[in-house]
Amino acid sequence: MKILVCAKQTPDSTVRVKVAPDGRSVDAAQITWAVSPYDEYAVEMALERKDADASTTVAVVSLGAARAKDSLRQALAMGCDEAILVSGPGAEALEGLGVAKALAAVAQEAKPDVVLCGRQASDDDQGLVGAALAEALGWPHVATVTKFAPADGGPAGSVNGIDVWKEVEGGHEVWRAPGPVVLTVQKSEKEPRYPSLPGIMKAKKKEIPEKDVASLGIGASLPKPEIVKMEPPAARGGGKIMKDGDAKRTAQELARLLREEAKVL
Amino acid sequence: MIPPTSGIGAAVLALFAIVGFGAFLWRAYQLYRYLRLGRNEDRTDHFWRRVRDEIVVYLGQRRLLTRRYYGRGLTHALTFWGFLVITYGTCDLLLSGIFGRRMPGTESGVYVWILDLFAVAVLASIVIAAYRRLVIRPSRMHIALDGYVILGLIGLLMVSLLVFENAGIAAGILEPGQTPPPLAGLVHLGYSHDLALAVFSGAWWVHVVTVLAFAAYLPQSKHLHIATTLPNVFFRTQRPRGALDLIDDIEGRETFGAGSVRDLSWKQLLDAYTCTECGRCSQQCPALATGKPLDPQKIVLDIRDQLLREGPKLVGAPGDRGTPPARWAPTKAEELWSCTTCAGCVEVCPVTIEHIDKIVDMRRWLTMMEGDVPAEAQRSLTAIERAGNPWGQPPDTRADWAKDLGVPTFAEKPDAEYLYFVGCAASFDRRNQKVAEALVRILRAAEVSFAILGTEETCNGDPARRMGNEYLWQTQARQNMETFAKYGVRKVIASCPHCFNTIANEYPQLGGEYEVVHAVQLVRRLVNDGKLKLARGAAPRELVAYHDPCYLGRHNKIYDEPREALGALDGVEVVEIAPHNRERGFCCGAGGGRMWMEEKVGQRVNHKRVDQIVSVRDLVASEGAKVSKVASGCPFCLIMLDEGVGAKGVAEELKPVDVLEMVASRLEVSA
Repeated sequence: MKILVCAKQTPDSTVRVKVAPDGRSVDAAQITWAVSPYDEYAVEMALERKDADASTTVAVVSLGAARAKDSLRQALAMGCDEAILVSGPGAEALEGLGVAKALAAVAQEAKPDVVLCGRQASDDDQGLVGAALAEALGWPHVATVTKFAPADGGPAGSVNGIDVWKEVEGGHEVWRAPGPVVLTVQKSEKEPRYPSLPGIMKAKKKEIPEKDVASLGIGASLPKPEIVKMEPPAARGGGKIMKDGDAKRTAQELARLLREEAKVL
Repeated sequence: MIPPTSGIGAAVLALFAIVGFGAFLWRAYQLYRYLRLGRNEDRTDHFWRRVRDEIVVYLGQRRLLTRRYYGRGLTHALTFWGFLVITYGTCDLLLSGIFGRRMPGTESGVYVWILDLFAVAVLASIVIAAYRRLVIRPSRMHIALDGYVILGLIGLLMVSLLVFENAGIAAGILEPGQTPPPLAGLVHLGYSHDLALAVFSGAWWVHVVTVLAFAAYLPQSKHLHIATTLPNVFFRTQRPRGALDLIDDIEGRETFGAGSVRDLSWKQLLDAYTCTECGRCSQQCPALATGKPLDPQKIVLDIRDQLLREGPKLVGAPGDRGTPPARWAPTKAEELWSCTTCAGCVEVCPVTIEHIDKIVDMRRWLTMMEGDVPAEAQRSLTAIERAGNPWGQPPDTRADWAKDLGVPTFAEKPDAEYLYFVGCAASFDRRNQKVAEALVRILRAAEVSFAILGTEETCNGDPARRMGNEYLWQTQARQNMETFAKYGVRKVIASCPHCFNTIANEYPQLGGEYEVVHAVQLVRRLVNDGKLKLARGAAPRELVAYHDPCYLGRHNKIYDEPREALGALDGVEVVEIAPHNRERGFCCGAGGGRMWMEEKVGQRVNHKRVDQIVSVRDLVASEGAKVSKVASGCPFCLIMLDEGVGAKGVAEELKPVDVLEMVASRLEVSA
């Protein structure tokens, strides 16, 4: 089975993001970049399939600045077989639909059986690319996926449909896709694996081919929403500790504060 | 005495000797071949220190003659010294019995006296040892047949020695001018001359045959330690206790850590041969004491057993690596991750076995080769990689605690004398930020010139190294060393024993040599030099229990300074958490990267520690005094003790504090 994972590089969760002086973008200075967490689950899910069937190949693609290569190397270190970077002028500025079209061009060339995306990226939380990619490819799409496996039957080596476990309220469903499919990943079975040091060393030396985004023929006239303003969340005020030892009085005072000051009752 | 061997007797004895020593040598050769499966490791540095260790630890039995073990230690020491003395006499017996030649001096009065005294002392020690095994049965001890066989053989040796001496005297076969064995000669059994000769001859033969049986049995037994302790002590590591072994040329390697017995060093395998199964290490282990699957003695014995199992196969097959140590049992990895690297085991081992190195080498394999790391540990390793601290706090907030205090950074004050290396805990943890503030007040009061690195500081790497990620440790260390170099840092103060230990003892492995002090050492010095003035006056009596952090105490032998710093405060008296204090201090549970791992099995280590502190408090209370605080000198201990007193419901009356906070609260207020 051939798997293509789409991984976006986003600011690491340990970074305290600052709004840039223009008020509509993020200050990129001093940011540590990493694979977006849901995309990391997608990488892990692909590798879990590879663990189950060693003939599986996993390619990972990212679209963006040259620094995204570091994140691709992380995916290689975890165990992916190859990585592709789509970059070039305009790559970073692409919005969801454009990204989906560019990834679709990569997928058409790579001909995977399964494309995995995280359910949403940790920076814009749009959740658009996976579904739009399925649309662009004309493939089915299953969301909030927690596991997949080739369906039973069919000649050895061929893919005779794909069973997909997806999380739903209070349980899970098993869907079957007939052929190539785009899955947006909720969570892998295990936490994303810790790359081994030999894996890291090997990934360091690996060639990562770059594709120019302009060569993918995605067209220039895509409708694109515009960010007009970014604001950090308001600073949290200090909490209040009620020290009176008497439970009844404390409760009364708490009720009064909730009603009169917090106005939530 | 004239040996009862003539003609055929000498030949029979020679045959026995060949069989006995042959069996010994054959087994020794096998063991040596297995030993050589281990990787190379140079243990020949510091020759004179090794000689000194040999005299103190091997000949002097210093590791056995320790606090609370003096009595038991003495029985072993007497047996050992007796063994040395009597072996000389044994050589004489064999030599004279086979070749009719004597060892020099064995008939001298001095030697005869010493020999006899030791024979009796050894016999007495053996009786005590047998009594301990049969009746007292200490829980730490693994009581097995092997021990009884050894005690029986030694007992038989001593009894037969005394019997043949006694009969020899009665038979009048002393060499002309020889001093009669004084103790053996005390008893007169009224033998006839012929009977005396027969008893002499019989006991003499029993004695020498037992010696040879002992030689043959020895290398099959835990008693092999009488042979291996000699080299094991000599080749013990001369690294500082707190320093792990460096993996050099890490970029050029393909395998990391111990993935096979071949990856353990020959010295680690020698350690395994040398284990006496005494169980002292197990008794000290905080993991074992709280129901975790780890037992330090088992770590060592598993290596021995696996080496003996796999050795014959591996010796002939250079490509065969056998089973990775972390996979020797399904629970093995869990054992390895339970270790807090507190060094309780290393401290008490009478034969200088290095347990932590083995555990860390196996962890290194798990982490760097297999990526097989507990999920929480993985998160903190990733956080160190990405955010430079194991909690994953935003790195640009590292120096926020210092903002309102106006603490200068090196960028602002490049001529500062000291770098205060704050560490991640004091930078990000609310509770420990107060300790950093306290140190700042102290340093200012003593007019010490210092600065911090601010957001340029990054984790020293200790948790990564102890979780088995040597590569990440080296990366972190090099990054800090570069920053130190950028500002020409020569002197470093650390308030965290883990920062202190790794910068002082481990950065030199990468070429980073600095003058490093832990804050309590500096405080002690400043008070002594009169540079730090403490408030004087009628302070009420205050009893403070002192908890020894492992990386301050056992790993760096800083026991006295924190006690003296506390004792220098008016009214403050230090209460020892005896017997779990100083070199027997009980870990808080957070070392070795355990700070960031969940503790799901058994009792929590910090809860057990708080139990110990509470029982000391109760003991003191029964004498009418009140312990109100427990002081420590480590941010992780502070976090663990805080959690522990909270969980045990004693947070109000037994407050965990840092020594620095206590000192800072007693600074002289300038008029």
